[in-house]
Amino acid sequence: MTSETRPHAQRIAFTAALAPELTAPRAAPPVEPVAALEPAAAPILAAREVTKRYELGRTTVEALRGVSMAVAPGEFVALMGPSGSGKSTLLQLLGGLDQPTTGAVVFEGNDISHLTDAQATKLRRERTGFVFQAFNLIPLLNVRENIELPFTIAGWSKDVRDRVRQVIELVELTGKENHRPDQLSAGEQQRVAVARALVTRPSVLLADEPTGNLDYTNSGELLDALWRSCEQVGQTIVLVTHDARAAAYADRVLVIGDGRIEEEIDLGRRPDHSAAPLIARLAKVGL
Amino acid sequence: MGIDRLAWRTLASRPLRSLLTIAGIALGVAVLCASLTLGAALDAAVDRTVRDMVGKADLRVSGFVESGLSESAIEAVTSSEGVVDAAPVVEHRTFLSSAPGGGTADAITVLGIDPTSYLRLHDVPLAAGIMLDRSDEPVALVSQALADEDGYRVGSRLSILGARGVTELRIVGILPGFGPVAGTGRTAIIPIDVARAAFGIAGASHVDLQLAPGSLTAVTSHLAARMTEPYVLAAPADIAANLRASSASFQGTAALVAAIVLFVGAFLIVNTLSMTVGERAREVGLLRAAGATRSQLSRFVFSGALALGAIGAGLGVLTGWAMAMVMAGAVSDATGLSAAVDAVDPAGAITAALVGIGITILAAIEPALAAAHISPVEALRNRLDLPQVRRGRLTWIAAIFVIVAALAMLAWPPVAAASSAGRALAVYAVLLVATMLTPFAVRPLARLLGYPVSLVLRLEASLARGSLARDRSRTTLTLGSLMIGLAMIVALGWSAQAARAAAFAWLEDVVPGDEVVTSIRPIGPDEGVEEELAAVPGVARVTPIGSFDIAFRGMRLDAAAVVGSDFFDDGRLTVISGDRAAIEALDAGVSAILPATVATRLGLAVGDTMQIPVDATRQLDLRVAAIVERSLPGTSGEAVLVGWSDAASTLGVAGADAFAVRFLPGAEALAAPGLRATAKSLALEANPIERIQGAVAEALARVFGVFDALAFVAVIVAALGIVNTLTMGVLERVREIGLLRAIGMSRRQAMRMVVVEAAILGVVGVVLGAAAGIAVGAVLLQLGGGLSHPGGVPLLPIGVAAVLGLVLPAIAALYPARAAARVSIVEALHFD
Repeated sequence: MTSETRPHAQRIAFTAALAPELTAPRAAPPVEPVAALEPAAAPILAAREVTKRYELGRTTVEALRGVSMAVAPGEFVALMGPSGSGKSTLLQLLGGLDQPTTGAVVFEGNDISHLTDAQATKLRRERTGFVFQAFNLIPLLNVRENIELPFTIAGWSKDVRDRVRQVIELVELTGKENHRPDQLSAGEQQRVAVARALVTRPSVLLADEPTGNLDYTNSGELLDALWRSCEQVGQTIVLVTHDARAAAYADRVLVIGDGRIEEEIDLGRRPDHSAAPLIARLAKVGL
Repeated sequence: MGIDRLAWRTLASRPLRSLLTIAGIALGVAVLCASLTLGAALDAAVDRTVRDMVGKADLRVSGFVESGLSESAIEAVTSSEGVVDAAPVVEHRTFLSSAPGGGTADAITVLGIDPTSYLRLHDVPLAAGIMLDRSDEPVALVSQALADEDGYRVGSRLSILGARGVTELRIVGILPGFGPVAGTGRTAIIPIDVARAAFGIAGASHVDLQLAPGSLTAVTSHLAARMTEPYVLAAPADIAANLRASSASFQGTAALVAAIVLFVGAFLIVNTLSMTVGERAREVGLLRAAGATRSQLSRFVFSGALALGAIGAGLGVLTGWAMAMVMAGAVSDATGLSAAVDAVDPAGAITAALVGIGITILAAIEPALAAAHISPVEALRNRLDLPQVRRGRLTWIAAIFVIVAALAMLAWPPVAAASSAGRALAVYAVLLVATMLTPFAVRPLARLLGYPVSLVLRLEASLARGSLARDRSRTTLTLGSLMIGLAMIVALGWSAQAARAAAFAWLEDVVPGDEVVTSIRPIGPDEGVEEELAAVPGVARVTPIGSFDIAFRGMRLDAAAVVGSDFFDDGRLTVISGDRAAIEALDAGVSAILPATVATRLGLAVGDTMQIPVDATRQLDLRVAAIVERSLPGTSGEAVLVGWSDAASTLGVAGADAFAVRFLPGAEALAAPGLRATAKSLALEANPIERIQGAVAEALARVFGVFDALAFVAVIVAALGIVNTLTMGVLERVREIGLLRAIGMSRRQAMRMVVVEAAILGVVGVVLGAAAGIAVGAVLLQLGGGLSHPGGVPLLPIGVAAVLGLVLPAIAALYPARAAARVSIVEALHFD
């Protein structure tokens, strides 16, 4: 299957089978509508000529220069580039953590470029999930409590236990629910972070260098878990990485350099995740 | 850049933290400086008062009885070899007949002087008018205080009540201030012959003597050989010592509270410096990796501490000066001495500044050692978590306690008794134990007391408890300082309550009446006053009481002539040794009843005999018939009770200066107005027991108000520590807060997290503070002998402490809560 034939329906069916009430339509954030996209490939997330400038003293730094890209539902997209290329900045804009200087970010058909803090908070709570490079777990909460943290913040209590159990199984941490972070390995801690990001069934999961602090084996386990969530339940994932091996798990790789998308490499959904084709393509285009 | 400059820039990079720490040091130094300055002001007031009282005199010879020294006694005194000059003085309390401005009914003190001799020994400055010239002219000088109160000026008429009616005088001069007599300041000076005529006195109340150098012993021996009536000698040093003794207890307690404020400040300093070392661990690691020695890194911490201490000490001295000026009035009221603060006491300022800097440096020792032992490899790791850096050692708290206690003992006011120093050490020990137990109590108490909050705000309460448990040492220091401040509020409040209860119980135990009618002159039994008062409808009984002095073993003792049967019938006096019937037996004579304090001081027991000199050849043997818990209050202590037969016939007591009036049951409302009217017509003053109790309560409130103000400073310092701790907590958890915000926590929830942490701190602090305060209060009362009248559970002080303990942390949380809410998610997630 290609990214265009994303098993979006499959994700919905899976969710409906497990917890039908959780698929009840939620009220969308009150935002200004944008132009309609092609129905067959309507992206779940898109950036339209987005720029981001920072003032550092007397200097203006342009982290992004007119970037346009789109992510289809259920697609696994990697943003790849060297340090300082703007890939993390783009991820922050896509996730509503920050706002573009110019341009627009469209999430599920809604422009989220100028949300108020309360609207952005609601978006993060209900629609997106984040995984960061550092483990970012709350040290005094155990695995279960860390994973159900989004529900605790939102004040939701219905069917939390079942959902938490499902994601724990997904990331293969069954039996470690009562462990605290300091009792887990680095890879296990990062998988808890992934589970927490997935527990609310976000529309998009955004991961910023999630394997940056992990060794080879743990990196592989984590990327496998991400890929499984994409493959099995149709989770849409945007991954930022400088590591070709990690990017090779994606269906499509956007190479970012100096604030622009320099190359788009379509790898397709591949169970073997070999990095060789990606490396060859990168070499071919001189990257 | 040198290590010192790096240290100072580090302090400047955290302006709020540095300012809070400086404020904590400044407040501690200010309280100590104010305490020492007020002590110096009191000393100066004593010297000034003694100078005003005795002037250039080397010795004062005073009579015992109301009539003072007889003419022959004065002759014996002034003719003693070694006496260079002598000034007899008649001193008498009386009322004014009228005042031009409608005036008050307050009594005045009249000094009758021989202008010639008195002015040779005393400097009598005048604010207006002219000096007395002759000893028989009906003129007067009045103090500025009296003139202002009653509306007198030069040329006004002054009418004083005497033994033979009203004596009219013309005011010719105004004395500045209160005049030469310690007390209320209502003083008039008149010629001695006029005074003698007015008050029916032939001799003098006392004679001030100027002696030839080295002749004190000879004069004393001469007087002992030649005087035929009881007398007492007082050198200026003795008078000064007595006056200083009246302020000793006050100065001791003020020093105790000042030391505790300094200790709370030390907590703040240790916390701040530990936080700084923890925060700068990576810089310190870099310095070590670049070749800095351990001693250089220690100096990094000490240099910062010295800067904080010096700035804080400077500000503290200035603040202490201002505090002393504000508190001088209250201190004067509390001690009866006119303490004026124009400038800060240099010695006190230097002492306070050095103590403040010293405590800052001492508090810096442990963080400096921690900085010196930071491993560069550990410090330069990507993810920094150095428990041994961030957490101080609780044992260091105990060490600071001991050091501050030692410093406090060194700086203890010399005038304060050794017993008050012992009491302070006992209080310190209780607070030390309470502080060392704090870390064990924090977690269970936080869980228990935070439970109601967790029912509503589960996440915020959980994260708040976790934050408190993250750094046990820091939480202990923060909570400990709050606990100590609140404990002092509770302990001092309980002491005030107990003192009030004891005073009220004392009055109720010893006064056989519902009202006390007082006279400023002795009322003889033949004047019919007792009968007139008893004739007022509704009066059940009138008991005459005469206050006087007796000499015993060379000491002056307060004594009171009473009708024993009246006290017995009224159920007054609690006998603790001997038979209660001894009270009634006083009327038969040759017996005395001692208050417990006097019996203990003199080493007397029931059955012992007191030999009281009457004159050169006679003495009165009084058998100690009973010892009572409390007795009537005298001038400087509790009175020895004797019967009227002994007092009047042998000891020369001319009459009663007070009448205790008991009303018939239920008749007080109707009888009291009549009694007061009758008293007024007889130039007497009627005071209900409640008014006396109210006056006592007011006096105690003034004293304890000063202490409460100082203890409140300790709570403020603790609140500064809470701001510091919460702010540091937010700083340490920036990434965690950023993560929580990234996954959907609102700004309001982030603020609530900090506020809940402060609320838990406050509630735990109140519980621990109340418990510690009760323990400290029990120690203060036990050592002060007041535990027999604790006045009940100190609910009001605990309530005050509870309000402070809840409100102040909430206010302290405002800034850090806003900081938590303002955390930028993007910056926090890249925070390193």
